[in-house]
Amino acid sequence: MAALTLRTSGWLLVLPLLGLVVVMFAGPLFNIFWLSFTDPGPGLSNYTALAERESLRRLLWVTLRICALTTLFSVVLGYCIAYAMTHAGEGARQKMLLLLLISFWISVLVRTFAWIMILGRNGLLNNGLMSAGLISAPLPFVRNELGVLIGMVHYMIPYAVLPLLGAMRAIDGRVMAASRNLGASPAQTFWRIWLPLTKPGVIAASLLVFILSLGFYVTPAILGGGKVLMVAEYISVQVLITLKWGTAAMLAVLILVSVLALLALMSRFMKLSAALGGRA
Amino acid sequence: MHDKQFMRETAVEAAHAFRAGRLGRRSFLAICGLAGVTLPSVLAGRAEAAAGEIILWNWGGQSEECHGSAIGVPFTAETGMPLRFDTSGPLQGKIKEMVDSGNVTADVCDGDLFDAVALGASGHLEPIDYSVVSKEKTLPEYALEFGVSIILYGYAFMYDTEAWGENPPRDWADFFDLEKFPGQRSLYKWANGALEAALMADGVAPEALYPLDIDRALTRITAIRDNTIYWGSGSEAHDMIVNGEVSMGMVWQNRGRAIEERTNGRYRMVMNQAIAMPGAYIVPKGNPGGREAVMKFIAVSQSVEAQLGLFSCLGMTPTNPEAIARITPGDAPWAITSAENRPRIVLNDPVWWGQNGDAAVNAFLEAIS
Repeated sequence: MAALTLRTSGWLLVLPLLGLVVVMFAGPLFNIFWLSFTDPGPGLSNYTALAERESLRRLLWVTLRICALTTLFSVVLGYCIAYAMTHAGEGARQKMLLLLLISFWISVLVRTFAWIMILGRNGLLNNGLMSAGLISAPLPFVRNELGVLIGMVHYMIPYAVLPLLGAMRAIDGRVMAASRNLGASPAQTFWRIWLPLTKPGVIAASLLVFILSLGFYVTPAILGGGKVLMVAEYISVQVLITLKWGTAAMLAVLILVSVLALLALMSRFMKLSAALGGRA
Repeated sequence: MHDKQFMRETAVEAAHAFRAGRLGRRSFLAICGLAGVTLPSVLAGRAEAAAGEIILWNWGGQSEECHGSAIGVPFTAETGMPLRFDTSGPLQGKIKEMVDSGNVTADVCDGDLFDAVALGASGHLEPIDYSVVSKEKTLPEYALEFGVSIILYGYAFMYDTEAWGENPPRDWADFFDLEKFPGQRSLYKWANGALEAALMADGVAPEALYPLDIDRALTRITAIRDNTIYWGSGSEAHDMIVNGEVSMGMVWQNRGRAIEERTNGRYRMVMNQAIAMPGAYIVPKGNPGGREAVMKFIAVSQSVEAQLGLFSCLGMTPTNPEAIARITPGDAPWAITSAENRPRIVLNDPVWWGQNGDAAVNAFLEAIS
C-alpha cells in the first residue's frame, strides 16, 4: 500500500515534465504524422508516390547506400582504432582519446570545408601529387559521392570508436591467455574469442553510425557538389522552397519509423543508454 | 548603454499600455519624461508611435547593416519608428509556417517577387497598398498585387582570364560548350537562372523564354552535368571560382564586382544574357506593425537615396527609374538595368516562377542528382 502511494506521488512529480514533453515534442511529431496523410489532400497519396515516383526511390536508395557504406568504413576503421587503444599503455591511450575527442568536437561545417581545401581540385593533395609528377590532371576526390563518403566517415569514426572501446575494455584479458594456453594461435584467438566477445559493441556502433548518418545534411550538400542528394536535404527543400509539406512529412515519418525499428533491434543487443552515451 | 536600452523598453511598454488604455495619459507622459523622450516628439505623437516598430526579415550578414543605413535611418527620421531585423532568411516555407501558426513576428520580408506570386495566391500575404507605395518607382513588370520589387539582383557568369584570356566566352552558349571551352562549370542549385541560361544556350530568343521549356533546359543541363558542380549560397559560388574549382561559374550578379575587384580582374563577369531577378518586399498577412506603417516603410525604400544606398552597399540595382538614371558612368557596367546593360539582359518572369517554381525546382534536382 505504501509502495503504491510512493509510486503515485512519483508520477505526480514528473507529471508537469511529462506534460511539457507531450506538448513540445509529441505534439509537433503528431503534426508531422498528420501532415503526411492530409497535405495536399487527405489520403495516402504521399505514400503511394513512393511507388509512382522513381526519383523518390532513387533518393532513398542513394541515402541508404551512402549510410551503409559510411557505417561499414567507420566501424572497420573504428574497430582498429579501438583495438589499438585497448592494447596501448595508459599514457598513450589518454593521448589517443584526446585526439579522438578533439576531432569529435570540431564543427561539421569546419571539417567539411577543410576537406575541400585538402582534397579539392586545387587542394593540397592534388597540388602535391601534380608537382611530384604522379598525375597530370587533378583527381576528383570531392564534389562527388566519394567526397561525401570521406567527409561522413571522418565525422562518424568517433561515434564508432566509443561504444567499441567500451565493449573491448570490458573483456577479461585472462580469457585470451586461457585460449593461448590451450594451444590456439593468435589468429584463432582473435577470430574465435575476441571478435565474438566484441560483437555487441560492433552491432551497437553500426546502428549508432547508421542512424546518425541518415540525418546528414551539410556534408552531402557541400562535398557532394549538389549532385549527391540525401533525404535530409531533400526534406528541407520540400519544406522551405517548394512547399511540398506532405512529401516532406512522409519522408520524415519514413525515416523516423526506420530509426525506431533500428533502435528496437539495437535494444535487443544492449542497453540503449550505454550505446548512445548521453549524446545522440 | 544598458540603462538606455531599459529606458527605451520602459517607454515602449508604457506606450503599449497607454494605447491599450491600461495607463493614463499623465502617467504615460511622466514615464516618457523619465525615459528621456523629448517633449517635441511627444507633442508630435511620436512616442505613441514608438509603440510600433517595423521588423524587416532579411538574410543577415552585410544586408542588415546596408538595410539599416539605406532605409532604416530615413524611415526612423520620417516616422519615429525604429527598424529592427530578423536575420533568419524569409524562405517561402518559413513565411507560410509563420502565417499559418498565427504568430506573425515580421512586418516585411526581403524576399523574391516569385514568393509574392506563390504566397499571395495561397492567402498568406497582405496586398500592397498602391495609394502609398508608388507603381512609378519600380519597373512596370514588377509592381504586383502582393509584392513590389525594390532592388534587382541577378544571375551572370564569371570566367578565369588565365584560362580564357585570349578568346573569352561571350554568352551562355559558350558556357555550355565543353568542346570549345573544356573545363569545369558551376550553376545555382535551385534551378533559378540555370534554366533560363540553358535555354538561351540552346538558342531560345531572350524575349521568348517564358513559359520555360523545362525539359529542353534540363537536356542541356544534364549534358554538362559531369563537369558541373552546384552551389547553394553566394559565398560558395565565390569560393568555387577563386579556388579554381571551375573555369566558368555562375554567380549572383550583384557579387560579381567584388570578386572582380578583389582579384584585380583575374575573374571577369559576363553581363551579356544576365538574368535580372526582382527582389521584392512582401508583407505576411497580419503583420504586427500594421498595414499603414509597413506600407510607409516600403514607400521609403522606394526613394532614390535609399535605392542608391543599397546599390553602393550591396551591389543590388535600383528598380526606381529615377535612381537608375542617377547611377554614375563608372558604376553603370555593374548595374544590371543600366542603359548599356538593359538591351543585353533578360528580365525574370516572377509570375511563371511563382506558379511553376515548385515543379521546376524538383525536376531540376531530379536531373542533377
